[in-house]
Amino acid sequence: MADRVDQAESWVLHTRPYRETSLLVDVFSREHGRLSLVARGGRRPQSSLRARLLAFQPLSLSWFGKGAVRTLHAAEWQGGLRDLAGGTLICGFYLNELLLRLLPPEDAHATLFDAYGATLRALVAGETPERCLRRFELVLLEEMGYAEPLHQTAAGAPIEAERRYCWRPETGLVETAGGDEDGSYAGAMLQALTAGDWSHPAVLQGSKLLMRALIAHHLGAGQLHTRQLLIDLNTL
Amino acid sequence: MNATASDLPEPLAALIDGLRALPGVGPKSAARMAFHLLQRDRSGATRLADGLRGALDRLIHCERCNSFSEAPVCGLCASPRRDARQLAVVEMPVDLNRIEETHGYSGLYFVLMGRLSPLDGIGPRELGLERLIRRALDGVTEEVILATNYTVEGEATAHYLGELLKSRGLKVTRIARGVPAGGELEHVDALTLAQALVDRKNY
Repeated sequence: MADRVDQAESWVLHTRPYRETSLLVDVFSREHGRLSLVARGGRRPQSSLRARLLAFQPLSLSWFGKGAVRTLHAAEWQGGLRDLAGGTLICGFYLNELLLRLLPPEDAHATLFDAYGATLRALVAGETPERCLRRFELVLLEEMGYAEPLHQTAAGAPIEAERRYCWRPETGLVETAGGDEDGSYAGAMLQALTAGDWSHPAVLQGSKLLMRALIAHHLGAGQLHTRQLLIDLNTL
Repeated sequence: MNATASDLPEPLAALIDGLRALPGVGPKSAARMAFHLLQRDRSGATRLADGLRGALDRLIHCERCNSFSEAPVCGLCASPRRDARQLAVVEMPVDLNRIEETHGYSGLYFVLMGRLSPLDGIGPRELGLERLIRRALDGVTEEVILATNYTVEGEATAHYLGELLKSRGLKVTRIARGVPAGGELEHVDALTLAQALVDRKNY
């Protein structure tokens, strides 16, 4: 049957209650991209799906049907990954929110899928969360075709370590007239970012601001909930 | 039942529309419920109407535990037999009831009426976390027991509550998870077993 998919490597991004006893599950699968599945009876107390459809756990999912919402019929836990715990949980929610907001449905992105898994594993292993997130954001923007050329200016000039640059929507990187203009980035930071060298704290700090600007531009209207949550928690 | 909504008398249409507020009830179920109440169970319909009216008019949130109450402070919070040094934080009133059914806990509660759920836009402000912090800092509470669900949202909620309360000098504990009572390893799902191994304790 053409409308049947068996044992697709997947991650659960989000689950919501659906009708009386079912769950609506947003998943990200390696071969089929992001899609919505209904887990029938997934909220019944005795449902075996309930304990398996957890975010941040590697799953093998099978589903059938066509249209915007398919029906989940089997979920198997693949194991081998410990839970995201404590502060890294919000990093996981952030990754999921990015995928839900930026990834168009039913668009397979195997590279992004692998990067997602690698990011979760790195977070669980205790790697610096900022480094994991920046790496994932870069892959996401590249895979979405949003990658701005960060190794050269909009005019095509190479980035030089000693100069400073601004990023402008629709244009790209532009060299600043001079001095530490607000919102400008050091050339050395941009060079390290494109080379994937995160060893210097200034690179992490600078790339955080640049990634935030790039992502905000592509998200359009609406704040990221995960970012707002952290801001609100800090005021308590 | 072939009548369209515009053919129905206004009070009937309003009742059907009102019943659709219930979770999982669509137009067909709502119409079935309405006809059942009006034709076959008019006394039940009266009880339902009175019950709804009474609950709406008389229930408020207890100022201590945030659960539903008729008085400003609910019976449980006012009881002298409860141990005010322990405060269990649960997501919903139904969770409080489940813990009460165990007859194994004599402390007090705080009901969040939800959980942090970043992807649904439910954050500390929407949940009113500062009320819990004020409640826990009453000077009598010594231990806060985080009894939110073991879902990713419940875990995130527990983590941030833990951080906020620990930084204010309270002892914070989390309910345990693992193999269920009477559980045979052969039949326990793999994820639960994996977590039970991670959370193993000295014996």
